[in-house]
Amino acid sequence: MSPAASAIDYRALVKDDRIHASLYTDPRIFDDEMERIFHRGWVFVGHDSEIPRPGDFVTRHVGAEPVVMVRGRDGDVTVFVNRCMHRGTMVCAAERGSARTFTCPYHGWTYDLSGELLGVPYPGGYAALDKSTRGLTRVPRLASYRGFVFASLSETGPSLAEHLGSATKLIDRSCDLAPAGAIQLTAGWVKHRCAANWKMLPENDSDGYHLGFVHLALFKTVRTQYQRVVGDEKAIKAVVRDWGRGHIEIDWSPGYQGPFEWLGGASGSQVAGLVAALERRDGPDVARRRILEGPAHALIFPNLFLGETNIAIVQPVSVDECVHWHTPMFLEGAPELNSRLLRMAEAGMGPASFLMPEDLTVASRNQLGLQARTVGWLELARGLHRERVDAEGRTVSHVTDETTNRALWQHYRTVMTEA
Amino acid sequence: MRSNAEYQAVVEFLYREARLADEARYAEWQALWTDDGVYWVPATTDPAADPETHLSHIYDNRGRIDTRIKLLQTGHRYSQEPASLMRRLISNIEVEATDNGERVAESNFILAELAIQAKREMHWWVGRTTHRLRRVDGALRMCVKKVVLVNAAEPLPNLSFLI
Repeated sequence: MSPAASAIDYRALVKDDRIHASLYTDPRIFDDEMERIFHRGWVFVGHDSEIPRPGDFVTRHVGAEPVVMVRGRDGDVTVFVNRCMHRGTMVCAAERGSARTFTCPYHGWTYDLSGELLGVPYPGGYAALDKSTRGLTRVPRLASYRGFVFASLSETGPSLAEHLGSATKLIDRSCDLAPAGAIQLTAGWVKHRCAANWKMLPENDSDGYHLGFVHLALFKTVRTQYQRVVGDEKAIKAVVRDWGRGHIEIDWSPGYQGPFEWLGGASGSQVAGLVAALERRDGPDVARRRILEGPAHALIFPNLFLGETNIAIVQPVSVDECVHWHTPMFLEGAPELNSRLLRMAEAGMGPASFLMPEDLTVASRNQLGLQARTVGWLELARGLHRERVDAEGRTVSHVTDETTNRALWQHYRTVMTEA
Repeated sequence: MRSNAEYQAVVEFLYREARLADEARYAEWQALWTDDGVYWVPATTDPAADPETHLSHIYDNRGRIDTRIKLLQTGHRYSQEPASLMRRLISNIEVEATDNGERVAESNFILAELAIQAKREMHWWVGRTTHRLRRVDGALRMCVKKVVLVNAAEPLPNLSFLI
């Protein structure tokens, strides 16, 4: 696949300290993003635990591409394009389920779980039908890390390991909290429609500056683990961190004063099983660190959000619409926490939650504000004077600084301009 | 239902509850709940879905119902600031009496919501509601309100008003 040259000059639109509004409003840019970010890059499709048995499947999108992720008889995961090779019909309309074969409703072409064409009705109509060339199109590259399945629609490009780089440690941070070392996404997804460009949500998810303002209602109503990032700027200990290649993090843990603040302050018998399991596996010191630090709050570029006790996906729809998906992150080996994690997911994310409706309202007001033509630029300079680079080469700064946004946009500029 | 008067009382409760929700009269709506109230909006239309294993849009116990109301009353719940303009129609009401004296009302609704906080879009919400009602000090109160949206499993816009 050879990249089509873009008519857009992304270097002129993405500066180190500002970005241009058209990046959120120009449909040509959205089309470029689908091609360069979502089709050529690595995109999260789903998690192993969503399809535990042979024949289990879910349907998803990789950018604009409808796909099916299915577990085959051999236990391997396949992701194929959800489009019949005959006349282009979407083969599988269900969001999830279990199948022995996939049969197109239009003329009955039938495929096996790996997408191979098993047969077509009335084969006499074909002088010679080479079934081996008519299987459902598998995504050119498929790879996974700790149960997170990623696809790339490009034959070439960096490997998943190169794409993730050291950001695998963010995924590790979440998975290592589970006694069995794996998370489970089995509670179903809630989908929240947002009238804004998809990039607003990754930016907002990694923005520590907005909390005390956008979520003022919550801070006025209940105590939350985010309380320590509102108030005196100098007293805030949480940080933002740039992991490279567009992977960015808010780390609340420097501000935590005790274990399980990230789990709503759970204690005692509620967490005894988890603590004991982690101590057995990792020893008391490592276990203590894990339960203090909690899971990652990080964006895996471009649209997988490790949202502490939730996993979220930002699904682009059009230049001014996207859908935010989320599901609670269950910890394999600690099912006694599932009920709490469900209730935390409902409080934190989704259309009726206590946080995201405000974020998405502001995002859609951003989209409206950016229609203004007399002002073209958005600022991105906050914290430039006080960033530092840590021993592992990551840029770190105060949690309210735009270090994360800058990192996202700098990687974006690279992806949108590379040959 | 045993008598017209009982049926009528339930219907009047449903209409009043709907009007208080439509008009963002939060404290009065809150007062319609029993102390053990459960407010449930599943994220699926599957009748077998269990809120202990499946994610919901809302699964509030009484404490969380109160938090939900307090948020709206701060004046900073920006997804409902100002409150959406709403009217809902309730129909197809069927009322059953249970053995313990509670009443279970099933009804359909259509709700027009003008979300005026950003894009000023009209959102249409359609679903089936189950109310479980109990008399407390002579007055009907809700102990369960379950709302199954037709599009429960689809991408939904903000649902931070009282549905």
